[in-house]
Amino acid sequence: MTTKTYVPNPVSPRVLGHHWSAKADRLQSATGVLMGVFLLFHLHFESSILLGKDAFYHVVHFLEGSIFSDDGKGFPIITQIISVFMLAVFVLHALTALRRFPTQLGQWRALQSSLNTIRHSDTRIWYFQLLTGAALFFLVPVHLFEMIQAPNIGPNMSAERVYHDNTWVLYALLLPAVVVHAVFGLYRVAVKWGLTFQRHKLRRFAHGLMIYLMVLGIASLMCYLLIGSELTLPVTPYSPS
Amino acid sequence: MSQGRTLTFNIFRFDPQQPGDKPKMVSYQLDETPGMTVFIALNRLREEQDSSLQFDFVCRAGICGSCAMVINGMPTLACRTLTSKFSDATITLMPLPGFELIGDLSVNTGKFMREIAERLKLWLHPRGDGQDIHVLEAPMDPEEAARLYELERCVECGVCVSACATKQMRETFVGAVGLMKIARFELDSRDARSVDDFYHVIGNQDGVFGCMTLLGCQDNCPKDLPHMQQIAYLRRKMSATLVSC
Ligand code: SF4
Ligand code: FES
Repeated sequence: MTTKTYVPNPVSPRVLGHHWSAKADRLQSATGVLMGVFLLFHLHFESSILLGKDAFYHVVHFLEGSIFSDDGKGFPIITQIISVFMLAVFVLHALTALRRFPTQLGQWRALQSSLNTIRHSDTRIWYFQLLTGAALFFLVPVHLFEMIQAPNIGPNMSAERVYHDNTWVLYALLLPAVVVHAVFGLYRVAVKWGLTFQRHKLRRFAHGLMIYLMVLGIASLMCYLLIGSELTLPVTPYSPS
Repeated sequence: MSQGRTLTFNIFRFDPQQPGDKPKMVSYQLDETPGMTVFIALNRLREEQDSSLQFDFVCRAGICGSCAMVINGMPTLACRTLTSKFSDATITLMPLPGFELIGDLSVNTGKFMREIAERLKLWLHPRGDGQDIHVLEAPMDPEEAARLYELERCVECGVCVSACATKQMRETFVGAVGLMKIARFELDSRDARSVDDFYHVIGNQDGVFGCMTLLGCQDNCPKDLPHMQQIAYLRRKMSATLVSC
């Protein structure tokens, strides 16, 4: 509950930030959409493991440009290049989103008090985005650096990483955070720029999408854990029979 | 229609003018009557149980905007809220957060509205040719008038300010009511200000680009003003002027 009096802002706007605040707003939305859409593809490609090792093997090799390589195995450097690109997009998104982040204790208090006094679902959703955003700030770079350093993707190599190198812990944290953040981020961009006024339908769809992606992600993670547990060390890359 | 219920009102009580007074919640019981609004209930409580209870009202018809408060977590107008709406017979009343507290449920929205009007210059800036009061006003296109009227319906209740967590976190943010009024003058063909002029007032972090689309304004405005659409419109428009800057 506040009992403070508002002091009017000086009439002259803060000159700094004029163009930049508009640009930052666009950039935050654009980078967010790019990463959100990337995530949708990413989760689907990676869940091809649910259809078997062969399916995943072919998806990976196709995405790594196997049709252009002589040995048909593709170029893992493509994964590295995409990871570096996504890291750059991520940095831009984080920088533009950080200007929204409550930095003062008073702001956190105001937020808590608002959440406690006013019942409003979209504000609550945004709050989850704020928290997941903070978690992703630390989790996403770990995942991306991992892909830049050792882009060994394949049915066996990925499963080894997940099971024997314990990266399942990272993915178990990353998955819910990224799904919540991305799905509701895409929803927010749509209503923010007025791309749709069918907001309630869109929000219902976002909820459905969130559940679907979570189920898909958890099922794939379990699958990698299962494959990993059956592998004997040292692991050799999978090749289709 | 729930009749014969005994309602429990948990009401925030605090008088900043009283030295030593501390904020507290006080419970009152009241028999519900048909068609009872929170506003009627408050008047009865004041008449029958506690004459020191402070709250505002003028019109009793959702027109003046002075009776806004937080009713069971929803910021809204007390005179437009039927007690029968709450299946649970407990009703919690809090003053609108984010405003200067006068006492109990009464807050100084007027002061806030005046400040925002001065800051954003929320009045018509007529074009140079419209100054002579002896000249007949040019007729306005009925469609434009209807569009303006739609946005003109704001009763300055302050609900959108209280319902916005962004505004609660950042005092300097103009809030939905300011943006709505800017949108209204931006649409008005009689107003001399250009997009550029508006851009200077709200094209920044404290204006439309500070809005995080939490939509508390859209979901709670008792006049159902199209906040989401208007803010999106202003955002696109202000963002587009950037290209020409
Ligand atoms: S825009 Fe709606 S909620 Fe905000 S002050 Fe006006 S009537 Fe109240
Ligand atoms: S008393 Fe006027 S709006 Fe409620």
